[in-house]
Amino acid sequence: MYELVNALSENVIHGSDSNLSGTTIATVVITGMVVVFIGLILLVLLVMLYGKIFDAVNRKKEEKKNAEAVKVETKPAENVPVVPPAIEEGIEEEVVAVIAAAVEAMSAQSGKKLKLKSVKTVKPQRNPWAAAGIAENTRPF
Amino acid sequence: MGIINSFLETMADLARESGFAGFIADDGWKNIIMILVSFLFMYLAIAKGFEPLLLLPISFGMLLTNLPFAEMYHPEFWDYIEVEERGGVINDHYIDYGRVLQHGGLLDILYMGVKLQIYPPLIFLGIGAMTDFGPLIANPKSFLLGAAAQGGIFFTFIGAALLGMTAAECGSIAIIGGADGPTAIYVSSRLLSKTDSIGVGTIALAAYTYMALVPIIQPPIMKALTTKKERSVVMGQLRQVSKTEKLIFPVLVTVIISLMVPSAAPLVGMLMFGNLLKESGCCDRIAKTAQNELMNIITIFLGVSVGATTSADKILTISFGKVILLGVIAFSLGTASGVIFGKIMYVATKGKVNPLIGSAGVSAVPMAARVSQKVGQEENPTNYLLMHAMGPNVAGVIGSAVAAGVLLSIIQV
Repeated sequence: MYELVNALSENVIHGSDSNLSGTTIATVVITGMVVVFIGLILLVLLVMLYGKIFDAVNRKKEEKKNAEAVKVETKPAENVPVVPPAIEEGIEEEVVAVIAAAVEAMSAQSGKKLKLKSVKTVKPQRNPWAAAGIAENTRPF
Repeated sequence: MGIINSFLETMADLARESGFAGFIADDGWKNIIMILVSFLFMYLAIAKGFEPLLLLPISFGMLLTNLPFAEMYHPEFWDYIEVEERGGVINDHYIDYGRVLQHGGLLDILYMGVKLQIYPPLIFLGIGAMTDFGPLIANPKSFLLGAAAQGGIFFTFIGAALLGMTAAECGSIAIIGGADGPTAIYVSSRLLSKTDSIGVGTIALAAYTYMALVPIIQPPIMKALTTKKERSVVMGQLRQVSKTEKLIFPVLVTVIISLMVPSAAPLVGMLMFGNLLKESGCCDRIAKTAQNELMNIITIFLGVSVGATTSADKILTISFGKVILLGVIAFSLGTASGVIFGKIMYVATKGKVNPLIGSAGVSAVPMAARVSQKVGQEENPTNYLLMHAMGPNVAGVIGSAVAAGVLLSIIQV
């Protein structure tokens, strides 16, 4: 390509040349635009090519991951018997799912393995009106 | 009596040696005008926010160099001389750097970084460390828009040649159309010599002033060349780019461009080196230095020493008027060719590409991309073109570096 540039501008232009001829000007303009375009088109093609390769590789990796994830999910069921958490009757499944998800999120964040053992309703210890009264009187100024 | 006489004589000597006397001397009035011009640019930088990070150092350099007898910058040190080198080869572009080091003022020493082409590549290192090429990798076709917008450079070359300027001047003025300050300084400092009627400072002033004016110059051209329908095209979301792709990109671009146009290697190489530092994630300390401290230091050196080259005999000429005129033409043509190529892509993709992103192909990162976003939102307030425009925008930086390389390899110094 470098040779092409030099070949196209056989009559080398010197910085001090003035009153450039039409041919010289056309040479500079055409060479310039052509080289810039060829260079960048080459980059377009290469970037597209490796983009495609990476897309394919990533897809394969994801498929593999998904397959592995299925395996991991099925493994513990075979070996270790899972003890289901004790759920009090009358608590909706959605509520349990939300609590389990929250516990799971905390366990992922803290790095400790947390497990949901049981879900039960807390018996109200005080009449809400009485609790409100206590809160009112003990709130700091 | 004797004491009074010698006092008066000393005072007279001091007055003769003072800068005020310099103003009264032969061409002193030119220095006064140049100092006023430097005040104008300081005003534009401080009050109007015209690229202040560069225009303020440039205008202060301009002030310093025009103070008579301050001797901070010597234009005569930078004249080329003929020297017979080893083997009997005559080098007619020899600069006596020994003399500069021995007798130069502060600004002479700093200007060595411009003349030896050190500062612009280092600025590019910082720009690379700040640039995210993700949008360009996600949509590689943006490269074409970045290439098309370089049309401004080459069309302006025609205009400058028709005005009877020398090849070196034509190349230096044309590169303003790349809308890239460091590239413009890189090319003009290599091409221009004392015999040319313009200097590096002139080119830098015009380039940075017009870069600040991008939000004013571009929108009318963009609107004139596009229809309402084209402007309101909403572009689809860009795909996610993986880290490995971002790592390969700088290496690939460096190898391809440097092999094709070796004279673009210093600019493209450093740009991509900076980018690799950023993307690798293992050299955070170096990447941060390149983006901040190093970039700021070089900006100060570059600005103040380029400003110093704006001596009266280079600015108060008809050529300066030509540079200002051709500079705005260069910016406009660059914008126009980007938008027109955007229209071609609009047709080729059956209306999936908004032609407005084409104007961002003239580097001026990220201002030009913001202009595309703004003009697009005027048609459709829910349209977000910014990320799509960043692709051509960063491609424009690569494109103008390539164009600079081509100009430098065609025009022999």
